[in-house]
Amino acid sequence: MNTTRRATLLGAGALLAAPAARAQTAAANTLRVIPQANLTSLDPVWTTAVVTRNHAFLVYDQICCVDGQGGIKPQMAEGWEIGPDQLSWTFTLREGLMFHDGERVLARDCVASINRWARRDPFMQVLQPNVAAIEALDDRRFRFRLHRPTPMLAMALGQTPFPCFVMPERIAATDAFQQIRDAVGSGPFRFVREEWNPGQRALWVRNERYVPRNEPVDGLAGGRVPRIERVEWTILTDPATSANAMIQGEQDYWEYPLHDLLGLLRRNRNVVVEQRLLDGTYGVCRFNTLHPPFNNPAIRRAVAMAVDQRDYLRAVAGDDPAGWEVCEGVFTCGTPMANEEGSEILKVRSVERARAALREAGYAGERVVLLTPGDYPQINALGLVTADLMRRMGMNVEVVATDWGTLVQRRASREPVERGGWSVFHTTSAGLSLQQPVTHLFLRANGAQAWFGWPDDPEIERLRAEWVEKGADPGENRRIAAALNRRAMESMYYIPLGFYWQPSAWRRNVQGVFRAPATVFWNIRKG
Amino acid sequence: MWAYIVRRVLATIPVMAVVALFVFSLLYIAPGDPAAVIAGDQATPEDVERIRASLGLDRPYLVRFADWLWDILNGDLGTSIFTNLPVSTMIAQRIEPTLSLMVVTILLAVSVAVPLGVVAAWKQGTLADRAVMGFAVLGFSVPVFVVGYVLAFVFALELDWLPVQGYTPISQGFLPWIENLILPAIALGTVYIALIARITRATMLEVLSQDYIRTARAKGVGQRAILFLHALKNAAVPIVTVIGIGIALLIGGAVVTESVFAIPGLGRLTVDAILRRDYPVIQGVVLLFSFVYVLVNLVIDLLYTLFDPRIRY
Repeated sequence: MNTTRRATLLGAGALLAAPAARAQTAAANTLRVIPQANLTSLDPVWTTAVVTRNHAFLVYDQICCVDGQGGIKPQMAEGWEIGPDQLSWTFTLREGLMFHDGERVLARDCVASINRWARRDPFMQVLQPNVAAIEALDDRRFRFRLHRPTPMLAMALGQTPFPCFVMPERIAATDAFQQIRDAVGSGPFRFVREEWNPGQRALWVRNERYVPRNEPVDGLAGGRVPRIERVEWTILTDPATSANAMIQGEQDYWEYPLHDLLGLLRRNRNVVVEQRLLDGTYGVCRFNTLHPPFNNPAIRRAVAMAVDQRDYLRAVAGDDPAGWEVCEGVFTCGTPMANEEGSEILKVRSVERARAALREAGYAGERVVLLTPGDYPQINALGLVTADLMRRMGMNVEVVATDWGTLVQRRASREPVERGGWSVFHTTSAGLSLQQPVTHLFLRANGAQAWFGWPDDPEIERLRAEWVEKGADPGENRRIAAALNRRAMESMYYIPLGFYWQPSAWRRNVQGVFRAPATVFWNIRKG
Repeated sequence: MWAYIVRRVLATIPVMAVVALFVFSLLYIAPGDPAAVIAGDQATPEDVERIRASLGLDRPYLVRFADWLWDILNGDLGTSIFTNLPVSTMIAQRIEPTLSLMVVTILLAVSVAVPLGVVAAWKQGTLADRAVMGFAVLGFSVPVFVVGYVLAFVFALELDWLPVQGYTPISQGFLPWIENLILPAIALGTVYIALIARITRATMLEVLSQDYIRTARAKGVGQRAILFLHALKNAAVPIVTVIGIGIALLIGGAVVTESVFAIPGLGRLTVDAILRRDYPVIQGVVLLFSFVYVLVNLVIDLLYTLFDPRIRY
């Protein structure tokens, strides 16, 4: 038995600390987690915050989901049948599915949940014109009736970036732009609302009624078996404190350790540091294409010529090359759509050539306002590297250091920089969202409807629509993806900055941790 | 005296009203958009607008202020935009850790700083005096997070005597409660020890040079009685003022210590709310802080009469 001095001191004060002893016993059945952020909202449709999505994976279940290889597998569904004309999809639910309030999961709950989710999910909104109706046939079956074949329907329902979680119909009837108040799902853990102290802790307990699939876990597919009694999140905002808490065994699992502290954690024999998420985190440098100087594609391309992704990735994730990878295309590297068609410009990596290209492009010293969020260290680092590059190119750069809350408001401004607008900012994205044109936010180029920066490139939009139409043909899709990459490199309304891995850390007595597209806590136990 | 107290309590009403107007106006003109934070990167501008409308953020300034004021007058601080929890509930969740940290820190600071200041004044110019003043300079100069990290490294990581982080409610036992507060209270208390020790020394030096102290010495009164009965009581007014200000500051100003030791206090709640633009929470906690400031000042003013009978209200 490993008795620490503090345990001895605690023992001496046992009379005073009797409740604490009970708490220690409970700790053996509790997975104590330091999440990546504070859980402030419980509604995975109302907000796209990743921490809320992680909460939702504990509480809710999905009709179908992705496995470790990116395939779509049934989860709540026993399976689905596609009609001979491909104009109907009928899903059948597994037997024995129950919500945490004791009610059975019915087909009408799924229909209501899909309808609410579809109002917010960009992927489903692309497919929505194809959908004639979604209807419950009986308690266990529901059907999509379609205007035209929609082979990507299962992919939309089973996606991870904006998952379709199933809630009771009474909750799913809430407007998609209003936050739900009850976190009642049918997932492997039950949220304990009365223990929720936003900014300090959140607690889930095992759902005794949960019926997992009788299959081994595989990505998010397979049996979602809750093997621990409680999952408790403690919000630690200070990375050094989080590292100390892991080393001392006060916490069991740290979702996003700071890269600077990975070495410290790796040197501790009681802590495991491994890549758990299947995809890396991608950096993005986004231009405002509405105003000078970046309304000129030649200037955007000149900046791209100066970019060396390795500089950015070192700034974010350190010098260990195992912690990041260059990825000089717009699609997630290592996935079917990834290609480098037309990406030669990102291989120039020369400030001198960029400076010459900038001169040729007609840059006239216009002020460049670069927004950086001081409260997001990784994104801030990306911004500072770009600012340095642009200054070395001879651009007139003003760095506006602010917080994320202000940045997300200011980036929505379409005004010129003289009236509070902006020229360039950076962000990051999970590789999951960049695998396909249909979920690729930064690739959209539909002008006023596009993401911040508002690029207008009809050819990109035409190719994207063609890709959606030919969703069932892998060869055609790859051809279109190559054309998209080539066109995106010509327009260069955003610069891909490569990706870094975000490992997780856990105590060695935590077992059953598996690789997945999202941070989930089923199958995990403490030894 | 009672009339004075009633007058002072009534005077808090216009103060709070001005604070309310100021805070609301400041947040109205400040940059930032909670709807954009909520909607996330995937949302279209129309989605953000719909969320803004659902939160009532698209209504005119005066309508929003009137609604908020009416709710305040009815004892309702509003509901957090993000958590959907009542602001009063969120504040209540943070009150105990905040008060615990404040009480332990002030007790520690006063019990260490006042004797140090008295000794420094008594032994003016000696090694003891220089040591106390040296500590005071150090206490002011070293940032609280550095003290916190050093304490955590020594007493938690190396010696394993105390936990690195966290807060345990007192309902779960006195020992776990105090165990979690020792390091943050020392880290936070260092600057207060320095401040109170310096003020105590300065005021004691002034009092010890008074004629009545010389008379007391001539009459053969013992050193301890001179220091603690005759001098300290008469030096108490500025010391109590500093302690009072310290209490008021500790209610919401211990953010760094709360972050380093993961104490879920009001300071952290405020900073989190500001970063997210959770307006109802910011407004609620700032109102609370201003109320505490007014209250603490009133208590200090009343305490003056205990230490100096010449003061009358």
